[in-house]
Amino acid sequence: MLRKKYMSSYGLAFFEDRDMKKLSKKASQGWHLKKFRFAGYELEKGSSDDVIYNIDYRKLQPDEEHEYFELFAYGGWTHVCSSTDMHIFKAKPGTTPIYSDIDSSIDKLARLAKSVNMVSSIALAVTLVLWMVMIFTTGSIQKIAQACIVYSLIISVPAMMTSGAVYYHMWKNMRLKSNHSS
Amino acid sequence: MKSLEQLTDSVFYILAALTEPKHGYAVMSLIEETTNSTFVIGPASLYTIIKKLVAEKLIQLHDESDSRRKIYVITDKGREVLRADIQRRKVMISMAEHGLQRRNK
Repeated sequence: MLRKKYMSSYGLAFFEDRDMKKLSKKASQGWHLKKFRFAGYELEKGSSDDVIYNIDYRKLQPDEEHEYFELFAYGGWTHVCSSTDMHIFKAKPGTTPIYSDIDSSIDKLARLAKSVNMVSSIALAVTLVLWMVMIFTTGSIQKIAQACIVYSLIISVPAMMTSGAVYYHMWKNMRLKSNHSS
Repeated sequence: MKSLEQLTDSVFYILAALTEPKHGYAVMSLIEETTNSTFVIGPASLYTIIKKLVAEKLIQLHDESDSRRKIYVITDKGREVLRADIQRRKVMISMAEHGLQRRNK
């Protein structure tokens, strides 16, 4: 019997909650999050467990790791896995969410937006350069640029959509905040 | 959390807890105990706010010799900000209290 399986992600920037809920559902069926995989997660078979998952995005310096993970452990959150700047934690249902106030949730999205925007802007710059080459050249260089621009659009369009999604979530949070304080 | 002029409840509690030197997790448990668990700060929020307060120089590391066990304490600037926010909150409370007292008479 297979002990491991792959679960694809809906796209963290778009549907973070959906990913976390799906992981929780899988855990109740005995499939536990083991680690990040390309565009998804690796799950491992175990006994069924009632847990919730939360994700944080943060660049940690080596001397910050101890304090960071200690705080989560103290708050009832067990560290499951990390991939570069992404860290997933699990806890018993009913545990205080890792982000308990709107201001720091907005900060979290701002950190995410920074890294997503870097990818988007590089992809967009490459696309624009190729487009200029396509317009101002002729012959074989133009042909090559035409072929390349198709590939660059495959990257830059989803990257821009991802940036848009992060900003949408940020806007939603800010609106929530202004409704609270007014 | 751009402006710290008007402290959020989380920031207020954290600054209040750090009037004496403490670990991050001790801040968490003090707030939980004091408020009888009616106000709980999540670890990611606490970590974000601590980083922010250090950057704004409202709190600082108490003892920098041990980089693993970080203890924080409020700065003079932090005390000033906390005092100003206590005043702001006192105005809110006294207005409400006076209002309720007049109704009861």
